[in-house]
Amino acid sequence: MRKSRLIAGIVTALMTAGAVTACSSGGGSGDDADTLTFMFRGGEDEKAAYQDAIDRFTEDTGVKVKVIVTDADQYATKLQAAVAGNKVPDVFYVEQGSLQSYVSSGVLMDITDQVAAQGVDLANIWEYGVNSYRYDGTLQGTADGQLYALPKDVGPMALGYNKTMLEEAGVELPDPDEPLTREAWLDILKKVTQDTDGDGELDQWGTGLNVSWTLQSFVWSNGGDWTNADRTQVTVDTPEFAEALQFFADLTTKEKVTPDPEQAQTLDTYQRFMAGEIAFFPVGPWDVSTYNELEFEYDLMPWPTGKSGEPATYIGSLGIGVSSSTAKPEEAVKLATYLSTDETAQQTLVDANIQIPNRIDTAEEWAAAPDAEPANRQEFLDIVESYGRAMPAAFTFSPAWYDELFVNIQPVIDGDRAAADYLAEVQPRMQELLDQANEQAEQAAAAGAAG
Amino acid sequence: MTSTAAPATTGPRTPVPTSAPATPGGGSKRLHRSEKKWALAFVAAPVVGYLLFIAYPTGFALYASLTRWNGLGPMQFIGLENYANLLHDERFQQSLFNTFFYMIGIPIGLALSLALAIAMNRKIMGLTAFRTIYYIPVISSLAAIAILWQWAYNGDFGLVNQFLGFFGIEGPNWLSDASWSKPAIIIMAVWKGLGYSMLLYLAAIQSVPRSLYEAAELDGAGSWSKFRAITLPMVQPVTFFLVVTNIIAGAMIFTEINIMTPTGGPEYSTASAVFHIWKQAFQYRQMGYATAMAVVLGILILIITLIQFRLNKRSSFVID
Repeated sequence: MRKSRLIAGIVTALMTAGAVTACSSGGGSGDDADTLTFMFRGGEDEKAAYQDAIDRFTEDTGVKVKVIVTDADQYATKLQAAVAGNKVPDVFYVEQGSLQSYVSSGVLMDITDQVAAQGVDLANIWEYGVNSYRYDGTLQGTADGQLYALPKDVGPMALGYNKTMLEEAGVELPDPDEPLTREAWLDILKKVTQDTDGDGELDQWGTGLNVSWTLQSFVWSNGGDWTNADRTQVTVDTPEFAEALQFFADLTTKEKVTPDPEQAQTLDTYQRFMAGEIAFFPVGPWDVSTYNELEFEYDLMPWPTGKSGEPATYIGSLGIGVSSSTAKPEEAVKLATYLSTDETAQQTLVDANIQIPNRIDTAEEWAAAPDAEPANRQEFLDIVESYGRAMPAAFTFSPAWYDELFVNIQPVIDGDRAAADYLAEVQPRMQELLDQANEQAEQAAAAGAAG
Repeated sequence: MTSTAAPATTGPRTPVPTSAPATPGGGSKRLHRSEKKWALAFVAAPVVGYLLFIAYPTGFALYASLTRWNGLGPMQFIGLENYANLLHDERFQQSLFNTFFYMIGIPIGLALSLALAIAMNRKIMGLTAFRTIYYIPVISSLAAIAILWQWAYNGDFGLVNQFLGFFGIEGPNWLSDASWSKPAIIIMAVWKGLGYSMLLYLAAIQSVPRSLYEAAELDGAGSWSKFRAITLPMVQPVTFFLVVTNIIAGAMIFTEINIMTPTGGPEYSTASAVFHIWKQAFQYRQMGYATAMAVVLGILILIITLIQFRLNKRSSFVID
């Protein structure tokens, strides 16, 4: 009896070992020797546009590509699971904020030389986009680091306005080159916030903004920022920052030029803008295909300026990286380069109205097109070239410190608490989390170097 | 084939082929061996499954909870540091509090579904239609339901507040108000689970012997005492089952939270423990720390379940 138990044990152990090795031997990239795997995320429009571009790549090079698409909010989790399971796709999207951890754990390949060997003129690609994926081991986003990915796109967040509404309200249209001051902008907001049908209730508003996605512009143009230049010190407790946040909150509570406080954070200001009830609203390149179908005319303008006198906003970006464990590094880099910089591929994506061109020459042509819609597409390029910045947490190891600001911000937005008071309270907590993130980065870099 | 061939080669000493273990040598042993192999294979299947999918991940998680690990790179053993940090992690404690706060919905849901089950046990018009309607939320996609309720809770034009408006009540902005966001989630969870509990209760009620009610009626019991003295104790096993499974499921609430309040709600008021764990693991790259939280959560659930088993044993009710 004891013997049979022993045998059972051995059989079990063997089967387990067999199963485990079966799992791990399948690692690396696709099973088919001449197929690359490409993992990305996006909506229906993007999937179709990318499939088009990839089909053309296969036609040009003969390299087959297996595409894995996920929903936007599941992408990071699935990619991490793929990495943990040793099934890293050959080519995949990488977020600015994830780059450092993927580099220090050796998942991303250093593609500096290979990209140069492809003969790509990186000077013709937005500097911000390329530098976003450069990392020198301590700082990311500068021109000196090694290149670990190419930009899939750059996403400048512009300010749009409902042209039809402003014209009806008899307001002079904003100048595409001369930014409004905050005060002048507020005057317009007050003018267009109206009860148009005379039922005693407001039915159109100046604006309606989500604090997580627009506060950046007000803070930066007021001379404030989230951190110091080397991202070691949280600086949200400065007067410039507080004033900007207060201005933002006052739009709703004091000036009443937005829908009710409760609605400011929900989806509906977006819906209301599309329904023609809101005059000023942020517009990203990915919004253009939807907004072009709207029943009113709209256009883009520079963001209003605060104390610094300069407009400011952020530029999002996603990168396309190559796995360091790919069996076909040359083809993989070629695919990444193709999607990021090839003229035809870029045209396919731009025609789908989901992004602005990565190539500067193509972009300038695109912006100057006489049938451009919105007419001032140039604003997107101005943001990328001159006044746009990276999101505050784009280049830190973890965004926990940045998220902390927004967790308890609601009372400020509702007017129940002064901005300066709240910021003074939250700064130490943010600082602690930023220190942690920097520590995490150091440890990961050290571990990566050791391993 | 082997069973008929075996006795022929067994020899004179063992006339009965079935007494295999006692048989020294010969074909019966071979038969026994081959059967044993099969037996082992069958035993091995669940054992392998257990080792591979339960024991190994559990052991791995326990180890990971003792490391500093970002989920990608190498692990660095740091002993109990993660657990020590948990003691003064306010956000984790808050998310645990939120999670257990949501469980207020369990007794409410059970009471409602028992009432519904009793109602559905009568002969009323359109019974099947009602049963179906109550069961639809159970089989619907949780993500779809969460999005639906997110709209229903909209402070301005949501269904819930419009309904309250009929009675002259001005509803709160449910999901953006720190004091109403948790009740909002509870209401939704109760609504979603109602059909399932109702169905189990209905089955339990229908299996209560009629004779008990008849005897009680003879003794002059009214409907309330019949409910209290017969129905309630008779469905107690179902109640126990539902309480245990609801607490375990409730402790793991995630999807609703993630969809309805992607940032964890105003002032982190809706973040559940699993939501917080997921955020730490996948957004803040603290996989080791997050695993430690998961271990703590698992232990808490285990303790609660053990207490329940103990209580259930003490209050169990048997009719001879």
